[in-house]
Parts: sequence; C-alpha cells; structure tokens
Amino acid sequence: MESVNEIKEQLSARSRTATLDELANEGRKRVRLIRAEHIAQMVSEAVHAAVEESGLLDRDAVDALVEKSRAEFRTVLREREQELEVARENEAQLEASERDFEALQARFQALTQELALANSELQAVQDELETARREAQSAAEAQPAVPADVMRSMIQELAEVKASVAQQPPSGQESAPGGADLTAAFDKLAGALNDRLDSFGKKMGISAAVGGDAPVDLGSVFESGGDADLESNMDNIKVKQKAAGGIAANLAKLKKLKGGG
Amino acid sequence: MTTQDDIHSDIDQTTETAIGLGKGLDVGTANLAAAVQNDEGGITVNVERNAFLDIPSDVYSKNMLTKLKVPYVVHNGKLVVIGEAAFELANVFGRETRRPMADGLVSPSEQDALPMMKMIIQKILGEPQEPGENCYFCVPAESLDVDNNVVYHQGLFESMINKLGYKAHAINEAHAVVFSELAENDFTGIGLSFGGGMANACIAYKSIPCLSFSVARGGDWIDKNVSHVLGVPRSKATAIKERGIDIRDPKSREEEAVAIYYRSLISYVLENIKSRFESGQNMPSFSEPIDIACAGGTSMVGGFIEVFREEFSKIDFPIPVGKIFRSEEALTAVAKGCLVAAAIGEE
Repeated sequence: MESVNEIKEQLSARSRTATLDELANEGRKRVRLIRAEHIAQMVSEAVHAAVEESGLLDRDAVDALVEKSRAEFRTVLREREQELEVARENEAQLEASERDFEALQARFQALTQELALANSELQAVQDELETARREAQSAAEAQPAVPADVMRSMIQELAEVKASVAQQPPSGQESAPGGADLTAAFDKLAGALNDRLDSFGKKMGISAAVGGDAPVDLGSVFESGGDADLESNMDNIKVKQKAAGGIAANLAKLKKLKGGG
Repeated sequence: MTTQDDIHSDIDQTTETAIGLGKGLDVGTANLAAAVQNDEGGITVNVERNAFLDIPSDVYSKNMLTKLKVPYVVHNGKLVVIGEAAFELANVFGRETRRPMADGLVSPSEQDALPMMKMIIQKILGEPQEPGENCYFCVPAESLDVDNNVVYHQGLFESMINKLGYKAHAINEAHAVVFSELAENDFTGIGLSFGGGMANACIAYKSIPCLSFSVARGGDWIDKNVSHVLGVPRSKATAIKERGIDIRDPKSREEEAVAIYYRSLISYVLENIKSRFESGQNMPSFSEPIDIACAGGTSMVGGFIEVFREEFSKIDFPIPVGKIFRSEEALTAVAKGCLVAAAIGEE
C-alpha cells in the first residue's frame, strides 16, 4: 500500500492532467490505461529481480527485508497517529479551557459592574445620611438648647408654685376660678415639659426616665449561683484583726459641730 | 511596717463609751477593712487582702488547705484561695493573684469574682448587731485623669451590704480620712487616701466636703511599673514594696525602682490636685492654713511623708497649708473614718 502511494505520488509529480477534450484536440482518440497498483507491482518485481541478479540477497531475504520495512513503517505510522490523537485531545482541552476562561472573564465583568453599582448605592445612602444628620443638627440648633437638668428644675419649680397656689387661702369667689385656671395652666406646662424631656431621652437612646431618688437594687447580681451552695471553709478561718484608737473624741467633736451637744 | 517618723499625735481617747452601733467598711482595691467599736473604747478592724487565686481542685489540696487554715471556696470546680493566703501562694508559685477590683472600682474583667468578695466582706463585717445597722462604705470620687463612673460600683456594694442585713451608705474615701484624722482641726482640711487603685482627695470645711476627686494611680500602678522594669510578677513587686523599705534610701536595684515610681506617683497626684484647685470651680477659701492628712496602704512605705513634703515644696500650691502628716494607722484610717460616719448616723 505504501509503495502504491509512493508510485502515485511519483506519477503525479511526473505527469500532467488533461481532459478528454484536450486529448481529442491533440488527435488522440485512444489512450492506454494502467493502474498505479500494477505499476507498483512491476516496480517491486523489478527490484526483486535486480536484487536476485546481483546475488547480494536471495528472494527470501528481500521479502524479509521488505516485510521488516513495512512493519517499521506501520509502527511509525501508529505512533504518528497516536501523537496526532494526543495533539487533537490537547487542542480540544485548550479550546475548552479557552471557553472556560471566556466565561470567567464574562462573570468577572458582570461582578465588577455589580460592585460598581453597589458602591454607588452605598455612596448615595451615605450622602443621604449625611444630609439627614446636617438637617437634624440645624434643626436642633434652630431650637433653643435647653439642658435636661434645667428642664427638670423648671418642672420642680412649677410643681412648687402650683403647690403654693393650691395652699393659698381663698380670698374670695373671684379668685377661686382663677386659681383653678392657674393650676390647670401649670399642669399643662409641666406636662409639655415632661414630654419634651421624654423626647430628649428618646433621642439619646433612653427609653424610660429613671427615678432620680430611687436606689438601684443590684442585689440580683449576687443571687445567681447561690452563695449558700458554695463549699468553703471560711467559717473556720479567723480574719486578721488590728486594734486602732477609739473614735469617741471624733464623735464628740462632730456632735459639737452639728450642734448636738 | 508602719514607721514612726513624724506621726501625728492622737487625740485623748480616755472618754469612755459603750459599744456603739454602726460599722465602717473600706472597700479597697488592695485590701478590705471593716471597723467596729469594741468594748474597750477602741476599735477593732478586720482586714483581708482583696485578692484570690484559683488552683485545681482535688481532695488532697482541699485537705491540705483545711489543715493549714487557708481560706478557700469551691467555685466552678476549682479551689479558690482567698485573701492574704492567695497573695502568699501566688508569690510562692510565681503566679499573679486575681483581683476583683481594679483602679478603685469593680473590675469589669472579674465579674465572677464578686461572690468571692462578698464572702470576704461578709467575713470581716460579721453579722449586724441589729437589723438595719448602719454600715458606711467608702467609694472613690470620679477621676480627673480617666473617664470613669462610680454609679455601678456604688450600687453594687450598696446592694451587697443591704443583703447582709445592714443599711448601707456610701461616703467618699478621702472624706472618711477627714473624719478619721482631722478631728483636732474641726474636720477642716485636706484628706488624701493613697490606695491600691487610686488616690482620692477631699477638701472639707467643718466636716462638709467641698470638693472631692481622684486620680487613677495608686499602689497597683507602682507594682505594675516595677514589675515591668524588673521583669518580675506583680505580686513580687508588691512584696518588695511591703517588706519595709525606705524610699528615701533604697538599698537595692529593686528598692530603687520602687522609690522612683513612688516619687513619680506623689508628684503626679500633687500636680493634679494643684491644677484642680487652681481651676477654681467650687473652691472654698480659707483664712488660715489648713492641714493635709495622708492615709491609705500606699502611704505606709517608709519615708513617704518626707518625700511627699519634698515634692509639695516644689509646687506652688494655691491654698495655704499648715501641717502635712500621715495617719498613725494609715491602713485602717479610711475604715475608721467610715465608722465615725456610721456611728454619728446612729445617734
């Protein structure tokens, strides 16, 4: 087969192609045909004959040599085909990697756009917040700043005035309705001040007013865990004691200062 | 440990008195002290170190501690040694004690130490002589140099002491020094309490406190810095400080470190007091020089009052000052002052 291909190639290299019309124009009405396989066979026989006549190799050795050459050729052909197959596979993988890369690039582009969008939205929100802060600040500045403790003292004074008005003996019929009106006005004012105080507290994050004089009981801190359940040997331990000078004179001086004797 | 140099003379205590009601409690960063009047006309002060140390719990350790009369509590599966024994054990093993209080206030990082402190306070206060007996406990003033707040600290101890059956009242720590040490001066003058976490100051006129404040440096600040420069545990630095040195005449590299930081502390306190007084807010004016009384465990080191006078002479104090002295009973003066307040409240 290989020699036939070679013959064909050689024939192609050394021949020309002509159409039947061209041959007819050349005056050829009939041409002789021969197949490339026959030519290859003729060449092979010629080579065999030439080798036999040379006496260098007998026919069997020639046949063996030819067969060996054919086997080597087939091996080389197989290897080349395998290499071609590997090359085709690598090319396919490369194409697949290129496709994946393109997909990732597209994804990256999309995410970059999303990030840019999110950043712009964040900036917009921050701008809004800043605007709101400025507005709140200017609103607070526009109102007269009244500290909470001043308001508390105002409420207390109102309560005292209200109490003193309530305690005044009625001087006449005409004053009674006026006194009630005054009390009602004080109540209304105190209520408005209380509301204002609450709104201060809410702005500062305090949800309820704390009673100023009521002591805060943190006793529950010591209730969890149950001290009584703690095992210890403290009952059997004596603490270190120091003696110190008495306080009788201190107490006497203090009593004198306070006017108690 | 207390030296006898230039001790302020005590008032005549021959006046007999029955055992009076009322107890005083010094809630200190380093030490807890409870004062009560005794039947001999004097006062008894129970003192315990405000520290603890946890060790692994096993039967052997527990038995050993019991035999050695070392106070302990079993808490969260560990043996917790309490008080002075914790300090000694820490020094033996080269460990640091845990402190329920820091910088004069309840430590935010040792919240689970509160039951330990309650046990110590219960131990040193004992049972009230009658339900609702007055117990005055000291609280520090707010600091000039750090942002702190005593509301939680005060509320915590009020609740704790009320739960023990007393009626708790808070009094400024330096004001208690005025009650204890300035009776001869009609309770007029400046009381200074040098404690473990803070130095408190109170200027009073006829027992009324005019101005109170604190600075957040005390004995612990000295221990921390000495520990840092010498590369020893803080408990070791405390032991060096308390073993009876004289800061005017340090004898070793360790004592020298202590002396340096003591002088720095005193100078810092005086500068802050001076600038606060110079600020002029709520400042009383005195026609005659007033005395300064120092107290507190940190003032007990040898040579303290001499160094104090040296540093005082370097600054131009805005108020005329007469005598500067240290209490004869510096460690218990605050508790004694609290007792005075409690006793007068009972009458």
